[in-house]
Amino acid sequence: MKSRFHLRILWPFVLILAVSLAAFALLFPLVQDSVFQRAIETGKQANYIPIFTLVFLILAIGLMIGLLINIYYTNQHLNVLEDLTGAAQELGEGRFREIKIPGDVGRLPEMQELAEALQKTATQTEEQFNALNKQQAMLSAVLDHMTDGVLIADDSGKVQLLNAAAERLFKIENEQANGHSVVEVMRHYTLVELWEKTKNGNPETITMELGSAHKYLQVVGINLEKELPGRTMLLFQDLTQTHQLEIVRRDFISNISHELRTPIAGLKAISETLLDGALDDPPAARKFLVHMDNEVDNLTQMVNELLELSRIEAGRSNFEFQRSEPCDLINKAYNRMSLQAEKAGVLLTQECPSDLPKVNADPARIAQVFINLIHNAIKFTPAGGHILLSAWQDGDKVVFLVQDDGVGVAKKDLKRIFERFYKADRARAGGGTGLGLSICKHIVDAHGGHIWVESIENAGSQFFFTIPTTAR
Amino acid sequence: MSRFTLDQEIRLVQDEILLLGSLVEQAILNSVDALQRRDTTAAQHVCENDRKINAKHHAIENHILITFATQSPLAGDLRFLAAMLEVNTELERIGDYAKGIAKVAIHLADTDFPIPMHEIQQMADLATSMLHRSLGAFVAEDTIAAHSIPEEDNQVDELYERIYRKIVEAMIKNPDTIDSGNQVAWVIHNLERTADRVTNICERVVFIVSGESVEFDVSDDEPIDE
Repeated sequence: MKSRFHLRILWPFVLILAVSLAAFALLFPLVQDSVFQRAIETGKQANYIPIFTLVFLILAIGLMIGLLINIYYTNQHLNVLEDLTGAAQELGEGRFREIKIPGDVGRLPEMQELAEALQKTATQTEEQFNALNKQQAMLSAVLDHMTDGVLIADDSGKVQLLNAAAERLFKIENEQANGHSVVEVMRHYTLVELWEKTKNGNPETITMELGSAHKYLQVVGINLEKELPGRTMLLFQDLTQTHQLEIVRRDFISNISHELRTPIAGLKAISETLLDGALDDPPAARKFLVHMDNEVDNLTQMVNELLELSRIEAGRSNFEFQRSEPCDLINKAYNRMSLQAEKAGVLLTQECPSDLPKVNADPARIAQVFINLIHNAIKFTPAGGHILLSAWQDGDKVVFLVQDDGVGVAKKDLKRIFERFYKADRARAGGGTGLGLSICKHIVDAHGGHIWVESIENAGSQFFFTIPTTAR
Repeated sequence: MSRFTLDQEIRLVQDEILLLGSLVEQAILNSVDALQRRDTTAAQHVCENDRKINAKHHAIENHILITFATQSPLAGDLRFLAAMLEVNTELERIGDYAKGIAKVAIHLADTDFPIPMHEIQQMADLATSMLHRSLGAFVAEDTIAAHSIPEEDNQVDELYERIYRKIVEAMIKNPDTIDSGNQVAWVIHNLERTADRVTNICERVVFIVSGESVEFDVSDDEPIDE
């Protein structure tokens, strides 16, 4: 530190010196007279003691006053220093406050400057701190609300950061994860291997299935050497839904190919037979043509259902809602399907109380729902069985029921039968596109209603759907 | 200084145990998956992977014994290391169960025996989930979880009963399937035993924390003997 001398601090000394000299000059004549007068009168040598006493007294008083002034100012400065030290300490701890500068510090401008400098530092630090805080809050909001999991670990394999999505994925709280090993947090050897590879500079992207929850993940390893030396980041993307969609698509392609192949193979066989000479036998040729006609009907129905479903799903299908009598809806369905039921040897009956309120429905669409449900019921009810159509009021809606005493639906299929292209294994034998129930569900949904099934295997099924009585 | 190293050693062994646990967990899930898809290659892979599990088991055993010899652990550390030695063995056994299921998968790949896959999958998911959480409770020394996990063993036993009845029905209907049915019975037996081993791991958690050897009130016998 450069040592300088501040002349300014000499003013108390100069002041005391001046006052002392003045006091001496003022008092000396009084003493001088008496001392020298007496020496002349007595003829003895002059006694100088009073003069010495005077000088001594003035010096003593001057020193005392100087000391007092010194004590006063030192104390003042100590107070200010204490205050500044306190403020500096609080600043260090991250607390910011207004620094009060005592008015008389001004006598020493350096103290004033120090206080001001400190005040400025505090304000600036506070601003930077707030800006950082804001940025941090923004980043952690992004991290916590993103659907991908993020994990950052240091080079010893300790987890430094785990966002909310990753916490949910690994079913672990942040407090249990921070500072714990990646093994303890992720609990999967494939992930630990990926972390090791990424740490060693060979980042990879893998897809895997995680544990008994059967979650499909895409995990991206990112080496953060450049940004944060020694750190490694893993990103977890949950592909479970995409994976399920993929399965549905695969099911669809395999179902639709299977269903299309059967009628096409039939047509091919018949046309070959006709070409091979059956054409010359008119009665047989006619029989074959009827077969062909049936197969073409099947194909047409399948293609129509597919188109209808894609229209409903795309929301492009127009519904014409009108006030409709529930019993009319049931009766129309009954009339259209009774012949088919009779052919299959199944008894179709209807029960409908006449006092039901009108519902807000598109009759043609509801007829389609009934036909699909009755068609299924006939398919899965052995000859001699019974199918019942009924309806009743439940609050502001009417519940419709199609009940059969057929083979029922296996418990494991109950959840999925309304899915597109889903077919319980047995259904395959009966043909169909696997679209009927899915179409029913879409139509009922569009009416603001709800469709569900209750079934006991080998005892029959009950398909319920509700239609609101009030306009949507 | 030596205290620091012992802590470090324990953490290392603990991580190794968790890795072994995850290998074993995946082995069970993979073997059941191979059974479902009747995929002999996948089943073969599980069998080969068992060697990796056994090697890891031996490595961990060595690591623990060396730690005993060089660090002379006391009290809680001693109990923890001793318990890990035992958990290590339990995990290796569960690995053998997975191999057993994989062998059945190979055996059944060419048959059309109606395997009640839905329930078996449920059973495997439950058993592996219990295993996963029990190891979590083990490293966290969480006695509350250690007490609650073995209670889920009842669900495993229920599933066992249900599947067993289905298998027997299928065998009665078609006596030609007795061999296949018997094989499936081994699969569910192995899954049931897996859940029992998990109960043992939970007992070790209580031992680490309190030093008491408890026996959870879960029947170790196969439920079919009742």
